[in-house]
Amino acid sequence: MARTLLAIAVIAALSLTACGGPSTSPSADALVAAAPVAASIVPGTTMEKIRKRGYLIVGGSLDAPLLSQQNPVTEQIEGLDADFGRLLATYILGKPAVEVRSAASETREALLANGTVDVILQTYSITPKRATQVAFAGPYYNSGLVIATRKDQTGIGEPEDLNGKTVIAGANTPAIPAIEKAAPGAKILTFGSAPECLQALRQGRGEAYVQDEAVLLDSVRRTPTIVIQGKPFTSDPYGIGIKHGDAQFKQFVNEWLRTIQASGLWAKTWKNSIGTVVAGDAPPPPAIGSAPGSE
Amino acid sequence: MEILIEHLGDFGDGLLLTVELAALALVGALVIGVLVAALRVSPVPVLRAAGTAYVQILQNVPLLVWLVLAVFALPDIGVLADLFTTSAVVLALYQGAYMAEAVRSGINAVPVGQGEAARALGLTFSQSLLNVVLPQALRTVVQPLGTLAIMTIMNTAMAAAVGVVELTATANRVNLAEAQPIWIFVSAGLLYMALSVVVGLVTGATERKAAILR
Amino acid sequence: MSSVLFDAPGPRARRRIQITTVVAVIAGAALLWLALRQFAENGQLDADRWAPFGTWPIWRYLAKGLGETALAAVAAIAISIAAGVLLALGRLSPSRWIRLPSTAYVEVVRTIPALLLVYVVLFALPRYGLDLPLFWKLVVPLAVSNAAAFAEVFRAGIRSLERGQLEAGLSLGLTRGRAMRMIVLPQAARRVLPSLISQSVGLVKDTSLGFVVSYAELLYSGKVLANYNGLLIQTYLVIALIYLVINAVLSKLARVLEERDVRSAG
Repeated sequence: MARTLLAIAVIAALSLTACGGPSTSPSADALVAAAPVAASIVPGTTMEKIRKRGYLIVGGSLDAPLLSQQNPVTEQIEGLDADFGRLLATYILGKPAVEVRSAASETREALLANGTVDVILQTYSITPKRATQVAFAGPYYNSGLVIATRKDQTGIGEPEDLNGKTVIAGANTPAIPAIEKAAPGAKILTFGSAPECLQALRQGRGEAYVQDEAVLLDSVRRTPTIVIQGKPFTSDPYGIGIKHGDAQFKQFVNEWLRTIQASGLWAKTWKNSIGTVVAGDAPPPPAIGSAPGSE
Repeated sequence: MEILIEHLGDFGDGLLLTVELAALALVGALVIGVLVAALRVSPVPVLRAAGTAYVQILQNVPLLVWLVLAVFALPDIGVLADLFTTSAVVLALYQGAYMAEAVRSGINAVPVGQGEAARALGLTFSQSLLNVVLPQALRTVVQPLGTLAIMTIMNTAMAAAVGVVELTATANRVNLAEAQPIWIFVSAGLLYMALSVVVGLVTGATERKAAILR
Repeated sequence: MSSVLFDAPGPRARRRIQITTVVAVIAGAALLWLALRQFAENGQLDADRWAPFGTWPIWRYLAKGLGETALAAVAAIAISIAAGVLLALGRLSPSRWIRLPSTAYVEVVRTIPALLLVYVVLFALPRYGLDLPLFWKLVVPLAVSNAAAFAEVFRAGIRSLERGQLEAGLSLGLTRGRAMRMIVLPQAARRVLPSLISQSVGLVKDTSLGFVVSYAELLYSGKVLANYNGLLIQTYLVIALIYLVINAVLSKLARVLEERDVRSAG
């Protein structure tokens, strides 16, 4: 029965990040070392339950580079979502003890409702519709969908240009409804994972590939023949999914987010993942409660 | 229920693609199966080994792995076909290995006397195989071929995992859009059952016609 | 049959066989060379694209995936064999109330793709409040679908036994259940052992649906690995090779058992 977990990632203090970012980026350990710990925990709350258990259960991914990707060598999970998971665990427990359970996009609401996971940290866009079933802390990061093409492709710059083209998208991702809305005349071709989509674009199975900017940045970095066209054409505020109605826990997580935003740890976390492929300083963090559905 | 009527067109398209995939794969598999079975009973050891290797390699790797490899690896060695064609070819090659086994067992089921008689008449290996043994062998394997046809229909679902929007992928897509899983999945299941029933009826009728009374 | 289709080769036939052999080997080598050249031209044979697969951590990771494959396969095999025996007995039961549902189950499930069942467990059941742990999301649909296949294997085994076996048991005063359990089933199980193994090989292959479920068995581990290193082709080729070796060994076992059975029966 213990094997029902997809992956157990109890991060020991000694573990190292073998992630291949520039050496200037602080490692995940340094982030944890600088992480705040909650002054007190109210008895009878979700936080106390987690502290008694000794580790935080996060619903997430293992195969989302830059966000939540397992490193097969160290078996540590790396990326923005993974780092935030460790920081939140540290805030509650004083140590970065996290267990990541793989969550399919369609089952996240159920996982929270029946208490299988404490939080969802998985490019979980805050929408008013979802907010009827789950509570959202955050947003903790603002992303958006962008269009990628081969270098030699011309005539695709705006979402409207996708009409009449074959557009590649990840199966069950928000890209599909977004493409249908922005370019109803586009033919959508779906694949199960980001590298498969990228390979398909490279091989010419479609003219364009629509994906979350944070996910695409890594793909483009590794594939010199692919470029991102234009700016994000949607706004996807990522939230931390919490059981619907657990206002205390939501407030607690929001306090934590405000603390790390103010102390600059948020920016350092960004630098450690997305910042390894985007030049310049971290963007200003999104205002807590700013996205419709996260009030 | 309205969901189904609303998406009738989607289900029709998905079902059509499933039937096309299965039909192409079966025809391809039959050709490959007969060829490989012929290799496996040939007098040349290298050809026999090649036939055996084909069956072993194809049968012992999951279909999903073959599909992923073909869809993403073949373009890098200079072969780029659309997803449907790639899936149909992979399915044909995969089911071909199973077909070869069925045909070979059919060949082995033909009474030895038939082969001996053919040889006694002075027919060569290929003549005895083509004109005497194979026609009888294929008649005895109608039932296994029906089973293989049903297996092929079920395996076309795997194409959903590499982006072909056949029946299973259609069901999943409609469900994601409408969130009415029971009706949607039950209908998809019923459609698969209907396909198998058709195959069963065809197999039964063919078997009665093809049966050799001994 | 194959042995009577051609005679022991004489001098001319031997010559022809030699020529065919040479031609076949040259043709095979040419095909292989063409494929390798195409791979090389696209940079897929570069040493640094294969070097990771010579390192221990990658193999440790894949071995872990293989362990999960074995675990899922063993669980699914155990459940579906148990259910298969019950269903086979059910189909042969004299009571219509047991026979009909068993028959219906086997006939219906036999025609439903395993992937469709996986989608049901993955996307339909959670909506009705049944969200299974990840391991069971893979094992349950596989067991449901393979139980029907195993039932057919056992039924064929039981029916291949002479009726006299059961009748002898009954005439000794055993109940039908005990006669089945003590006399018929042990003999049937022995007879169908090769089919059980080949069905189990099929089930090992089916666990690759973990790819869809995101259960960390071998193929999903390959997916995570390919995602991490970007070496899609190399990773999946290595995965294919691992499946090939494991399943070939299991299939070989089935053939050895079959031959032993044929010998002991003959």
